[in-house]
Amino acid sequence: MVHLTKLAAAAVNRTSINAPYSAVAVKKLFETSNYVRKESLEIFFTPSWAVGAKRRSDGSILSKTFVSAAPCVGNFQKRFSSSSAVVDSSKSTIVPDFSHYKKDSGPNTSRAFTYLMVGATGALTAAGSKAFVTDFLANLSASADVLAMAKVEVDLAKIPEGKNLTIKWRGKPIFIRHRTPDEIAEANSVQLSELRDPQSDADRTQKPEWLVMLGVCTHLGCVPIGEAGDYNGWYCPCHGSHYDISGRIRKGPAPLNLEVPVYSFEDETKLVIG
Amino acid sequence: MTYRNSALEKYSRGVYRTIFRRNTVFLAGIFATAFAFEMAFDTVTDRWWDRMNKGKQWKDIKDRFSQ
Repeated sequence: MVHLTKLAAAAVNRTSINAPYSAVAVKKLFETSNYVRKESLEIFFTPSWAVGAKRRSDGSILSKTFVSAAPCVGNFQKRFSSSSAVVDSSKSTIVPDFSHYKKDSGPNTSRAFTYLMVGATGALTAAGSKAFVTDFLANLSASADVLAMAKVEVDLAKIPEGKNLTIKWRGKPIFIRHRTPDEIAEANSVQLSELRDPQSDADRTQKPEWLVMLGVCTHLGCVPIGEAGDYNGWYCPCHGSHYDISGRIRKGPAPLNLEVPVYSFEDETKLVIG
Repeated sequence: MTYRNSALEKYSRGVYRTIFRRNTVFLAGIFATAFAFEMAFDTVTDRWWDRMNKGKQWKDIKDRFSQ
């Protein structure tokens, strides 16, 4: 029974048997593999190499051999196509000449070329990123006409000594005072320790006789009044901040001195703010 | 092993040893190349732009409006 079972399994698996030739054999194989003809299995004759094997009383093989019990009934043919013949490959194979397609150079050149390509890619990427960032930031910054409009020129010759001038710069008032020597001396005489926002007069002016300040109270942004207040400087009417003759906060709620904008003297009588 | 172009092979070896071998040198070379490339690129493209727009730009007609 064992060899018949193996035969059936082999017929299903199609491993070690070849397709049978005759229609009868095909029919037999099909019926056997589908268990249609179970009783027909009994009539399969015993293979010649298995004849000598000892059998039990029920017909099963007692002594086993190393040979697989697949298929050697007449119509079945062992498959030999997987075995190959020994050939002299030096005579049978003609290798084409590939030298035309091969590189002239060796591995060092290939390596250097690869690194060169990597480096060139990196360099181009670096230049491109730098240009991208630069252009983007340049696009954000103010253009030349805006910058030109952002500056204000003041003719200082028109301001007599001891007088204030208020002009508009970038939408905000600018106080320019032509200070007298007495006022300069007064501004310098103040002790820094008694100031809320300690700043010497020299830090707040480029030329002592010209005081240039942003006319916005540092408390809540009102415009202080000139030549007023307890310190004879500026006085904010909103909440009562007193600034001295150097624009420093002396009394009231404001925390800081009046802001000094960026300015420069073009010549003796020309002031440029911005 | 010999190659048909052994001179190139020798040169490549030298280039690799001097530039590519140390990463710091390689990276410095990349940035230097990027800098040089950008300068050259900007110069060339600016010159080309000025040539294409000759006579239209302010610097070309500035002389006519002497102050």
